[in-house]
Amino acid sequence: MTQTIDISSYSAITDAIRNEARRILSDSTVSAVIGYTAGRRKGSTQPIVITTADDADQLIFSAACLNDLVVYLTKAKKDVPKGGRIGIVVKGCDLKALVGLLGESQLKRENLYLIGIPCSGVLGSLLKPAAELTTETIASKCCECTDQLPVGCDFVPTVTPTPLPDLEKRYANEIARLEAMNPSERWEFWKEQFSKCIKCYACRQVCPFCFCEQCLCDRNRPQMVEQTPRPLGNTAWHLMRAMHLAGRCAGCGECERVCPMDIPLNLLNRKMAKELKELFNSEAGFEVREAGPLTSYREDDDQSFIR
Amino acid sequence: MHSEKPKHDFEPKIIAFVCTWCTYAGADLAGTSRMQYPSNVRVLKFPCTGRIDPVFILKAFQQGADGILVSGCHPGDCHYIAGNYHARRRFAVFRKLLEFIGVDLNRIQFSWVSAAEGGKWVEVVTDLTERVRAMGPMVEFKDLVLEEQWSGNLNNPELQAVYEAM
Amino acid sequence: MQKQITEANLRLLIDSLLLKGQRVVGPRQSGTMVLYEPLASASDLVTDELPRRSIKEAFFPVCEDLLEYRKEGQQIELKDIDPDRFPETVLIGVRPCDAAAVPVLDAVFSWDYQDQFFLARRAKTTIIGMACTTADDACFCTAVGLSPNDPKGSDLLLTPLVGGGFLVESQSEKGEAFLATWQDRFSEPDGSQTQALATPALQPLDLKKIKAWLDDHFEDPAWDSIAVRCVGCGACAFVCPACHCFDIVDEGSEKAGKRRKFWDACGFSKFTNHASGHNPRDLQPKRYRNRIMHKFKYYDDKFGQTLCTGCGRCIRVCPVGIDIAGVLEEIQGK
Repeated sequence: MTQTIDISSYSAITDAIRNEARRILSDSTVSAVIGYTAGRRKGSTQPIVITTADDADQLIFSAACLNDLVVYLTKAKKDVPKGGRIGIVVKGCDLKALVGLLGESQLKRENLYLIGIPCSGVLGSLLKPAAELTTETIASKCCECTDQLPVGCDFVPTVTPTPLPDLEKRYANEIARLEAMNPSERWEFWKEQFSKCIKCYACRQVCPFCFCEQCLCDRNRPQMVEQTPRPLGNTAWHLMRAMHLAGRCAGCGECERVCPMDIPLNLLNRKMAKELKELFNSEAGFEVREAGPLTSYREDDDQSFIR
Repeated sequence: MHSEKPKHDFEPKIIAFVCTWCTYAGADLAGTSRMQYPSNVRVLKFPCTGRIDPVFILKAFQQGADGILVSGCHPGDCHYIAGNYHARRRFAVFRKLLEFIGVDLNRIQFSWVSAAEGGKWVEVVTDLTERVRAMGPMVEFKDLVLEEQWSGNLNNPELQAVYEAM
Repeated sequence: MQKQITEANLRLLIDSLLLKGQRVVGPRQSGTMVLYEPLASASDLVTDELPRRSIKEAFFPVCEDLLEYRKEGQQIELKDIDPDRFPETVLIGVRPCDAAAVPVLDAVFSWDYQDQFFLARRAKTTIIGMACTTADDACFCTAVGLSPNDPKGSDLLLTPLVGGGFLVESQSEKGEAFLATWQDRFSEPDGSQTQALATPALQPLDLKKIKAWLDDHFEDPAWDSIAVRCVGCGACAFVCPACHCFDIVDEGSEKAGKRRKFWDACGFSKFTNHASGHNPRDLQPKRYRNRIMHKFKYYDDKFGQTLCTGCGRCIRVCPVGIDIAGVLEEIQGK
């Protein structure tokens, strides 16, 4: 049964973010704050970079604030000013991506001022940004969220997030459904999904971990992954993407959310996360890890699959 | 002397990605010791298993491989100290990914073969070849080579005639 | 010429076309989305939703082969694509914002170079448009000088009638010929009222004023504030009915392979990357500026047309909520 999720706290969060942004911009703690602002269409939002205290009133937080803003801190986004300390609004899932980047020496904690969101959930899609947040419209990642309250931020509004009702674990269920299939059924499933891809690379561009200045898939000498948006090159691209994110992906689910062709990309990432947890007891969290599961090893790692 | 080679309907193509220090030397030992093993295997030599990128495996499948072998030094024996430990983790994960998208893992073998294990090389290669032979050709990736988005499809009179005859 | 067709006859018409071996492409449910795809039967046709991707791919595929090559020793064999192999196609249920983009594309593909791939596909295609009776808040065709029943680009235009069925208006010789071929399916108009058209919310934009601003604001701080959020994907360009940039790549080996043409986008950082490593559009705001400039200034300068039909797809898919209609309003207000 569809049930409305209480997000009345989001107006208090909006006020708190504005006040904090105003304070840290006016006392020059930070040179800019990256947050969300309202868009033209009813309910829509977009990321914004503000540099003056007067602009703080433009900041908002709502159930349509889906973007993982951490992508703007990476070196892939050269145009966002990085001088001095930067303030950024992060949900729990976004923060885990930021922590991952700290672990990969892409960011320095002292250059950041983290404004954490006690999050009660966001929408799954922005096709209808004004939609009410319900157990139906909520993002799949929120259904399995254990990090509504971010840890280790410089400022978190004193608001208690709405405890999420018992939601269907969509990813876990879908992974189980696929695992129960035989290989040729799984191949058919993914073949159909990957065939839809038009190589717009929205999945890559919104990913905080896709910060390479030269993507393997843009290279043509050697051409390891076919550039054309045909089923062959698409399959290779999505497998490489899943592999390059294995052990790094923090589960913000942006890749899947932005895919204009509705490819369930986060399903691959969740599957990889599940395997990494089982194999190496490794998962993304709020603690900075010096090395990820695929950049480290143990001498007694399982090798039952090796002859 | 050479024993009579049995004739088969299907000769699988097996691509072996091996490290130069252990498995390549092991395969070399098998050769210089005149051990017999299936000629289905094409050996590609790398500095280390740590250099073997999963994308190479995809590329091999796309270009017609029916089976894949990845082989290097036993744990503790890596010429670069830890390359094989890293490879072990990477392939432990990659095979799970391949399995999840529907690749039958029986087509892929990982092994440690040292420079002294010519015999083990022969066993590994022979077993994999026979296993893949029994499975038949790997068609999934080869089929993908021919697939187009609908808008890129062309009328193909010859194919059309074939379909209609069927 | 005006005719009328019942819903049932429209479906029968589609089935007849399919039986004749024609490729019929229209909006259909494809997984979670509605897409323009070849219909397998008349019941596939969906008429109440704007497909996620535009109709341009019927003439300008996501990816298509240009030639095949094979090399043996010093011998190189090249094989062109035979334009006879492009299928005869009827596009049905095309939204006016999609159909209107087709003549806009004609201009660029038949300008200094006759693009045989685009033009041959175009010549083999009949476009049956369908007026819109619903719009969402991303639609803005009326703001860029079109309308929910604009006949531009359609060979035949269907407008839903109050009591069911459609009013059919032919807009071209192709349309007339189509009506003549399938005359049994159509009847004379009985004077039924057409349904109320969709009313996109955005007020008409002053495209002249916007162009005048663009003419002398190549450098302006506004570009940074508008586009600093752009993450540089190609989603907007790929769903756009009018964007037409493409790249060409050889795929295969040195022995044999294919040359392919596939969609490209000015938002990609590699789009203007020179072989030297220099990139004149080195930052995202410059790339986004090109998108707006191309659509509302350069294309107008060259062909006297606007490279936007107000379908709103880019607004719906943009990962970071960039709203081209909002951007245009902002520029208009300057």
